[in-house]
Amino acid sequence: MNIAPRYLGRGSWLARRDPRVLVIIVALFIFTVLQVWDIRFLLLLVAIAVLYYRSASIPWRFIRRNWMVVFTFIGLLVVVNAIIGGGATGDITLDEAHVIFNLPLLGTPMSAESLSLAVTLFVRYLAMATIGFPVAFAVAPSDFGITFRRLGVPDKFAFGIDLTFRFLPSLAADFQTTVDAQRIRGYDWSAGAGRGVLTRLRRSTPVLVPTVVNAIAGAEDTIDAMDLRAFGTGRRSWFRELRYDWHDRLLLLAFAALLVAFTVLGFAGITSELYVFPFLLDAAGA
Amino acid sequence: MTMTLDRDRLWEVSSRTIVYSAIGAALYGILLVAQVPIPGTTVSVRPAFALVPFFGYAFGPIVGFFTGLVGNAIGDQISGWGALTSWNWSIANGIVGLIAGLAPLYLSRWTNGSLRDRAIGGAVAGVIATVIGFLFTFTDLVIQAGNTFGGTLSFYIAVIVADIIASVILVPILVYAWEPVKAQLGR
Repeated sequence: MNIAPRYLGRGSWLARRDPRVLVIIVALFIFTVLQVWDIRFLLLLVAIAVLYYRSASIPWRFIRRNWMVVFTFIGLLVVVNAIIGGGATGDITLDEAHVIFNLPLLGTPMSAESLSLAVTLFVRYLAMATIGFPVAFAVAPSDFGITFRRLGVPDKFAFGIDLTFRFLPSLAADFQTTVDAQRIRGYDWSAGAGRGVLTRLRRSTPVLVPTVVNAIAGAEDTIDAMDLRAFGTGRRSWFRELRYDWHDRLLLLAFAALLVAFTVLGFAGITSELYVFPFLLDAAGA
Repeated sequence: MTMTLDRDRLWEVSSRTIVYSAIGAALYGILLVAQVPIPGTTVSVRPAFALVPFFGYAFGPIVGFFTGLVGNAIGDQISGWGALTSWNWSIANGIVGLIAGLAPLYLSRWTNGSLRDRAIGGAVAGVIATVIGFLFTFTDLVIQAGNTFGGTLSFYIAVIVADIIASVILVPILVYAWEPVKAQLGR
């Protein structure tokens, strides 16, 4: 069972950047995307996100499944919103909308505006997910603690983040050992398939409880070791040193400029209006 | 001996707080792989979610907040979604742990009672914390301005129903399992 974070972008141009850059760029880019409702500009942002993503050189074959999960999740969000919206959007009521058809069975009207909104939302989420992937696969797991420390998170909590990533492989192994040990005793994790939710949930306890209680009880050694080294009594030093180089500065500047540009365009009303596809309006007979 | 922390020690940040926080977050992130789908819906019950109110209830609001916040981000990280992409959902998970950790302030009758009372208190704290904590996901209405209120509400209800089921069943079991070990360790 491979549960630990995978450093798939190791050695790539993006992985060689200061990890703070990747975190800051996610924030800058998300705030940029959130201001744009015109899909033509959003597609430009997706193109930028894809270029950025490709610089992380994450092998497709290892993350195909992750992308499938992302597409399914985004698709579900968009479909639920479209159905509940019932042909209207935030700014356009159903009376003003150009209804094209009603959904079979549900009878929910679908308008040119609501379908355009659905596609726009899908592209927005896609842009954000694309920019988020490199954080998952192009930052060394051991760098997260120092990254958040240098971004202003208090020392103790930054160390907590670092410790969390260090615990992942050993706790994942303990979890697997527990599953195997219970299997030897005749327990089958998937045997409850087809039964009720409560039954299946209760069936998770032979694995969940020993894993959790062992992990907490086993923490005493780590706590003692930290106490013996006077954890938290003074300013902490970190083995890894982070320093921005000119690539990092240029990248941050480019994404900051993007945010400023789209903020200005948004206030000017150029990107802040939903773009309704003309062919959908034609289909509605407008 | 009581299950939860004394009121005046709720906000203490010691090496114990940090280690329990890290273990809670790592376990939550790891165990998120196990999900039980509710038949006929697209919603799944996540047994791992019970760890968020449990760690808050057993070790205090800081441990609970960290477990929810960082654990959810790590789950997203492992799935490839990216630790920060759904940051508001991670904060919502953190708030659940925080509120469960404040149980001694609003459920003192149960948290200071017998083992049975403390187990029931854990389930009640889990329900209250889940209902309140996930209200933070309504920030999607601002962050994702295209989301309808109905859409956001339907996701909120689906998530809290599934997470309440996990909390009500598993938090008392974890309390029952942890208490004797805790007494043995002299904590």
